[in-house]
Amino acid sequence: MGAVAPPLQSTDTNVMRGSAFDEISFFSAIEASGSRALLIGRRALVVLGLPVLTADYDFWLHAEDIEKLNEAARPFDLEPNRGPNDARRSGRYVLENDEHIDVLVSDARTTVDGIEVRFDDLWSRRVSVDIGAARVSIPSIDDLILTKRIAARPKDAEDIRLLERLKEARDD
Amino acid sequence: MTERPLPSSSAVEAATRFAHRRLTPEELQAYVDAPVSEAEREEVLRLIRWFKNRYPTPADRLAYARRSYARWTAHRPHGPRD
Repeated sequence: MGAVAPPLQSTDTNVMRGSAFDEISFFSAIEASGSRALLIGRRALVVLGLPVLTADYDFWLHAEDIEKLNEAARPFDLEPNRGPNDARRSGRYVLENDEHIDVLVSDARTTVDGIEVRFDDLWSRRVSVDIGAARVSIPSIDDLILTKRIAARPKDAEDIRLLERLKEARDD
Repeated sequence: MTERPLPSSSAVEAATRFAHRRLTPEELQAYVDAPVSEAEREEVLRLIRWFKNRYPTPADRLAYARRSYARWTAHRPHGPRD
């Protein structure tokens, strides 16, 4: 499970900082926009308590809410790489500047082994998490595992194993 | 310490493609179902406990993830984003 980020030495926290992107304000803006956006990918694993390395943000967004999310992202100078209709057709788009936010826009996706995963089902089972002054919606652990089975890359397989351990830790 | 030459960009691209390939259902299942040794299980559970104790709130954890990624990128020669 080599993707786990190594613990920082205590002094590192004072030395190495991320970029100036105000993550909590961004999450607040998403919440205020009313867009149905689920934080998925490794950033969701971090929220739940897994110290994994990740560069990007991944959201699964309700297809009707692209304009709302784009509006929320504009004050952060995050520009969509394609228009809303094009994004709906292709099923994904990116918001980016120094940050990179992958947005999945689809009613449903299919796992590598043929299970249909519907956004509305994940949304109905979502978990709201307080991130400072903001609230972020993430899928349940079992649903996160399902999203990992959609992409089905080696690192997703690793993440599934980590999520299984996280479930064990919660059962303790 | 001896400096090693950086891999070529084509080698990096090939490795990236390999790492980001979509597994077959059988490959994915084999990965997921691979036995977990007691040592591995305990190591991961220990890491989870450490992380949640050291960074008790989701905001703390996200901030840690950003610092950790910044540190990682500061020390790598080149390569794609995760």
